[in-house]
Amino acid sequence: MEDKKLVQLSQQGNQEAFSQLVKKYQRKVFNLALSLAQNKDIADDLAQEAFIKVYFALPKFKFKSKFSTWLYRITINVIKDYLRKKERLSRIPQELIQVNPFLEGDEITIRKKEKTTEIKRKIVHYFIDQLPEKYQTILVLRDIHGFSYQEISKILKISPGTVDSRLFRARKKLRQKIEPYLRQKGGKHGL
Amino acid sequence: MGCKKFEKLIIQSLDSELQDWQRDSLEDHLQKCPSCRDKKKEYLTIYNILKEEKAVEPKAYFWPRLQAKIKTREQTSFWPYVRQWSIKIISASLLFALLLALIIAFFTPQRPAELSQSEELLLRNQNPVEEASQLLKEEGIENQNMMIIFSAMEAKNSSRRYYP
Repeated sequence: MEDKKLVQLSQQGNQEAFSQLVKKYQRKVFNLALSLAQNKDIADDLAQEAFIKVYFALPKFKFKSKFSTWLYRITINVIKDYLRKKERLSRIPQELIQVNPFLEGDEITIRKKEKTTEIKRKIVHYFIDQLPEKYQTILVLRDIHGFSYQEISKILKISPGTVDSRLFRARKKLRQKIEPYLRQKGGKHGL
Repeated sequence: MGCKKFEKLIIQSLDSELQDWQRDSLEDHLQKCPSCRDKKKEYLTIYNILKEEKAVEPKAYFWPRLQAKIKTREQTSFWPYVRQWSIKIISASLLFALLLALIIAFFTPQRPAELSQSEELLLRNQNPVEEASQLLKEEGIENQNMMIIFSAMEAKNSSRRYYP
């Protein structure tokens, strides 16, 4: 059944229709939360909170946008609230910098490729976490989840031009933050 | 074009197609500029790490857990219901009040309009100007006045005096 019909049924109090909407989008919503929170338990809480907000706001949904766009907007707002409140790590965790996985060398060959990729991912996320919240959000929406510029503009309620310029600044700032780490040789470097 | 403008093209090239002239001039510049080559490599490294992130399955029993939370919130929170139903309740009350007013107006018996003396006489099949015509038949003005006074006293209205 298509989203519009499911939403209409949910608005009439049909729990089965709402459960179908949840099952359809839970993976995407959870992964959006996970990309920004970097913790499965917190991401689970945030995803559930987003769906609870959607459930209670459904009677007010007037189909001015696609249901998915509206759902992602609510999810992003729930995540933003969390990001504003949470404390940021002041230093990169030691276990991530004992061996620099970005540099090819002897150290890298002794580790499995999968683990190296995971460490790289964690490092990039550590630096994303240091960015202002608006840059974190746009990087996650575009570079991790592959939303189009048009979709991002609708989710964040900003013009496509602003999406373009904000994304440019976000990528630039992220590279600037990671740059010293990317260019250092050897492991066990602080930042 | 300086390195700053080429950096913009490098970032743009990550997820969108450049125009032919932009791609050519960027390639030319990258061959000459090692700093921009490094930057491009770094941007690509970061972009690929993010792009290749694998989606993870949510924790088990997502919907049953969500359903339980929604029920708890519904029980503890009265206001969402109030908000949800307030508009419907207000509109229904207004409609009910309007209907009630219409019913009352329709079934209330109307008071008969007060009839004038002439109308009463006409209803009784009597001539309303008979009194006046008798007055005019009197010869003297005094007699006419006296007749008016007597009829006004009968009607308890002294203002019906005749002024020639």
